[in-house]
Amino acid sequence: MMSFRARGFVVRLMSVALICMGFVQTSSAGMISTGYLIDNETRDASLARVEVLLARQDIERQLLAFGVDADMVAERLRGMSNTELLALEGRLDEQLAGGDALAVIGTVFLVLLILELVGVTDIFKSI
Amino acid sequence: MPTLLLLLSGCASLPEAVRELDANTGRVELEDAPFFPQQRYQCGPAALTTVLTMSGASVSLPAIVDKVYLPEKSGSLQVELMAATRTSGRLPYVIDGTLSAVWNELAAGRAVVVLQNLGVAAIPRWHYAVVVGIDPQRGEVILRSGTDKRRITTTKTFLRTWRRGDYWAIVVLRPDELPAHVDQGRYFEAIAALEQAGQLDEAAVAWQTALRVWPGSSAVLFGLGNVRFASGLFAEAEEFYRRLLARDDRPLVARNNLALALAQQQEFDAALAEISIALAQNNDAALVSELEHTQETIRKMQADSQ
Repeated sequence: MMSFRARGFVVRLMSVALICMGFVQTSSAGMISTGYLIDNETRDASLARVEVLLARQDIERQLLAFGVDADMVAERLRGMSNTELLALEGRLDEQLAGGDALAVIGTVFLVLLILELVGVTDIFKSI
Repeated sequence: MPTLLLLLSGCASLPEAVRELDANTGRVELEDAPFFPQQRYQCGPAALTTVLTMSGASVSLPAIVDKVYLPEKSGSLQVELMAATRTSGRLPYVIDGTLSAVWNELAAGRAVVVLQNLGVAAIPRWHYAVVVGIDPQRGEVILRSGTDKRRITTTKTFLRTWRRGDYWAIVVLRPDELPAHVDQGRYFEAIAALEQAGQLDEAAVAWQTALRVWPGSSAVLFGLGNVRFASGLFAEAEEFYRRLLARDDRPLVARNNLALALAQQQEFDAALAEISIALAQNNDAALVSELEHTQETIRKMQADSQ
């Protein structure tokens, strides 16, 4: 994990490099996205674009590591907003995943059973 | 045993007066809500498929599994449910985490996807379900949940499990629909995210829907201009940017995009004139490089066209 300062440096470096290489030039080169007016953002737009690009690559790696098919990764990333990509970068690991997974044994099970019987939890009913 | 009792009382301290509905509130249930029984660990895809189908999107459970299920985590992330909603052409909208907000959506005919923790904080069992009904008199919440087509939970238990899921709840809106209670900022962000996901036609309809509620809003006109621009409809984009600037000439980002829309229509002198105005008005250091970059782009386009 890069330190914050080092990361900032890399982002700036890449920002310059990508612009020089013409990567940021698309059919809508220079167009400022709607989010800038909504979030009242005043940050350097090209810098933000590079940060999003880095976040996207990071999440792409993690989705693959969590068992997503390679040909589905792009489709799954497509729906995420820039804000979501930036929030998820480096933190996919910590995200809770709703899926009913549960692994408990012994005394923990007993405590849960009591909690269930008195109505605090709803863990054992067929879901 | 005293420890356990302490634990129980800790879990029971819910501000119920605030959370529960008045018993006089009417009963509501969307009986026609479809049901997709879940496979193991796949409550997320099942819940999302239910609400997407209700909103008229043509989706299948296996396709949604491919979009949101994470095999190595045996579950689905909230953000992926949102993303898959967008790529299905619908607007995911996070509603307030109160029972009355859920009731309002049900009354408007929309079921609500909720995140529950059916266990406790230390031993979580995260679960997505779809609220399809509330019966305030009986104190019951009715869910499509897991393999239960009509799961009835007491309101008290539901609120406990939902609280541990941080009261997270979303509805899936058609682009021409408004939520029962609309928070302007949250709604605009939701549309902008749909736009970023490349759903340009759907985003355009959603911005038009927003324009009916907030006529003349700069954010909405900017959004409409941008979706038209991204669709290659530069004359229409120009019109929206001009409407915005006629009401409020301060948003330089709109002038930046107006200049680009003009350049795309080969009106390079007018485009450069707009950028000059923006550069002269600008006192935001962060925008300077953007505006200069645009100026350069337009000059290059002009040179290339000659």
